Amino acid sequence: MSNQNSSENILEIKNIEVVYDDVILAISDVSLNVPDGSIVALLGGNGAGKSTTLKSVSTMLASERGKVTKGSITYNGQRVEKLNPSDMVNLGLVQVLEGRRCFGHLTVEENVISGAYTRKLSKSEINSELERMYNYFPRLKERRKSQAGFTSGGEQQMIAVARAMMAKPKMLLLDEPSMGLAPQLVEEIFVIVKELNDKEGVSILLAEQNTNIALRNSDYGYIIETGQVMLDGSAKSLLNDDKVKEFYLGISSEGRKNFRDVLKETKKNKG
Amino acid sequence: MGSEILFFFEVLVGGLLAGTMYSLVALGFVLIYKASATFNFAQGAMVFFAVLSFVGFMELGLPFFLAFLVTIGLMVVVGLSTERLVLRPLMNQSEDTLLMATIGLGYVLEGLAQAAWGVEVRRLDLGIPDFPIMFIADSIGIFISALDLTAGAVAAFMVISLAVLFTQTKIGLGLRAVADDPGAASSIGIPLKHIMLLVWSAAGVVALVAGCLWGARAGVQFALVDLALKALPVLIIGGFSSIPGAIVGGLIIGSTEKVLEVYIGPFFGGAIEGWAPYVLAVFFLLKRPEGLFGEKIIRRV
Repeated sequence: MSNQNSSENILEIKNIEVVYDDVILAISDVSLNVPDGSIVALLGGNGAGKSTTLKSVSTMLASERGKVTKGSITYNGQRVEKLNPSDMVNLGLVQVLEGRRCFGHLTVEENVISGAYTRKLSKSEINSELERMYNYFPRLKERRKSQAGFTSGGEQQMIAVARAMMAKPKMLLLDEPSMGLAPQLVEEIFVIVKELNDKEGVSILLAEQNTNIALRNSDYGYIIETGQVMLDGSAKSLLNDDKVKEFYLGISSEGRKNFRDVLKETKKNKG
Repeated sequence: MGSEILFFFEVLVGGLLAGTMYSLVALGFVLIYKASATFNFAQGAMVFFAVLSFVGFMELGLPFFLAFLVTIGLMVVVGLSTERLVLRPLMNQSEDTLLMATIGLGYVLEGLAQAAWGVEVRRLDLGIPDFPIMFIADSIGIFISALDLTAGAVAAFMVISLAVLFTQTKIGLGLRAVADDPGAASSIGIPLKHIMLLVWSAAGVVALVAGCLWGARAGVQFALVDLALKALPVLIIGGFSSIPGAIVGGLIIGSTEKVLEVYIGPFFGGAIEGWAPYVLAVFFLLKRPEGLFGEKIIRRV
């Protein structure tokens, strides 16, 4: 897998370190690449640094008093350090935040339309864009006039993705789209994400705890723990990796171990 | 028609028209509440600051309209500095922090206004007499002040324009999105800075108009700050986030306080219009905390 070829990568993260409130080290060393047009999964447990990594890219970090203190992030050939979230959206990179974060008091349709805020569209253009989104999310069309706060968790996740797609992004950052959803709905949402990637050509970096579904729908995966990349590889190879199977997919007869210990053991055995 | 009934209607209409002025101040609160979910305690001070500056500019010899425009410019500057010096550093802080900041801002504005223009009570003449319109008095027998009627019309106009701004425009959609979730709004590229600037400037203009209408009646003086706090019961009744709520709440407060004053006031020794609205507000807080038109608090389990 030639994942290091820089000209084809829409996103390159090189050895970043992220610190919150000037003291809390959230990420010590994360590097990853997202090839243009691909889906890359960022996997790991709670507090591993997945959300922080995504927020460093979308520059939403600043509003949470976090800072990238080392390394570099290059999106579409441009360094993102000096940019703000609004700039990133204009450059075609939109983040779907963890927990969906719909505008509860707005209707479903208003929520989706709000995603086109940065684009200068006429009323009829907005309507045709809206129809395009409803084709991917027919469920939202049925509920277009409902207040978003009263829709189900799955519908809210769909609203959040449709809203982000209304900005016509080149790249989407999805933060835990499966969170709190029934397995069937998670499947449904990943099918749509894959479809958006195929038909709209949007590159996707997704952070997930649900390793199985994330890898089955991605091209490449990175596993991070305590702010460091522990393992990376093509989605297929990760799905078949014994360590991944054991610790993230729960397929093992042995007892539980820390993932890092397993890697250490592997290194020892090699050496 | 009996003169008793005519008198009742006269009190009622007078109250409703006075109520539109409450609505107008309440609108300033709603604007900021809608975009930043904060009760802006500085709104009363903004009313005072705006109208005092307006009168001040006229005393300096500026003609009416020029003074009005200059004051609007000044209120935009106030909005700009508020955004830059107070809101931006406090972005993503809790709503309580912002609330406290607006109380502080209120004192700063009051102080600035009095430091710049002095403390004496001014007269503001809008050229509209505070006398009954004879045409209406002759035909139906009800005495309605021309000033009240003008104030009602101006308030109605402002309300309709703001309602259109909020519901029909892209900026309005952005405003409502920011009010609901500033983080999510910024994630889809809505520039929070611009939205805040816009809202505070609009609130400044509303404060100026409200200040002019009130100042013309009660004199341009410090008491305007407290008068503006009457918007609090108005908002509790109408709902903090609702423009129609501000209007209806204002009308309810205006009319009930006048009717109560005239018919029940004598039993309490008068002057109950000062506190009757708050009693009404307490009743609403117990029975319907989101107000008549307020957005229901959405809680999913």
